[in-house]
Amino acid sequence: MALRSAVLRYIRVPVQTLTATESKPQPQWSLRASLRLFSSHDVHLTKEEVIDRVLDVVKSFPKVDPSQVTPNVHFQKDLGLDSLDNVEIVMALEEEFKLEIPDKEADKIDACNLAIEYIYNHPMAG
Amino acid sequence: MSGATTAAYLARRAAQKERVRILYRRALKDTLNWAVHRHLFYQDASDLREKFEANRHVEDLDTIDKLVAAGEATYDKWRHPDPYIVPWAPGGSKFTRNPVPPSGIEIVYDYGRENND
Repeated sequence: MALRSAVLRYIRVPVQTLTATESKPQPQWSLRASLRLFSSHDVHLTKEEVIDRVLDVVKSFPKVDPSQVTPNVHFQKDLGLDSLDNVEIVMALEEEFKLEIPDKEADKIDACNLAIEYIYNHPMAG
Repeated sequence: MSGATTAAYLARRAAQKERVRILYRRALKDTLNWAVHRHLFYQDASDLREKFEANRHVEDLDTIDKLVAAGEATYDKWRHPDPYIVPWAPGGSKFTRNPVPPSGIEIVYDYGRENND
């Protein structure tokens, strides 16, 4: 399980400077590197990545105030958008994650948390 | 007659609103199919939005039905013959390219041992 999670994340080795008085610090291995995986679909998105990208898309929408966007915000009630704006945001999310959402499902995506849940649980979210 | 907010009226309005949203979504995707360059797409998308906004405050149910039907007819007329579909979706180029093999089928690795029983 630990190996699997290590394989699924990336490795980044930070540069550390050692002062004369300090003992050797523990290297902080936040694993983020380019790991060549030979199967086409082992790399699923992490939830933080999904949340970050969804919030970026919503914040860059011209009719939205970026300071009000949180992961739980409702598009029509909290951000004061229109149902047609909702459609536009869902289309922008489809373009961002290279998804194809069926019309009936797309109609139900009304809030940020619904969008994040749907995209995170979609097997083909890129 | 239909001025009161009865359940049937609200149900019909909700159905109409859903039709409008789905029509807007399909029309927007179609606009993206036709106008691939982003600046052209933004102009065409604003024009489409203007057309929808012009009929925003119509209240009569039958007029709304007629407008939605006219919009759907216009959408059918303007549909792109070769729309962009995401590759793994039905209609895309990678759809059922590598289907999951049926269960119970295995590959037997017996290279070199075929005739040496």
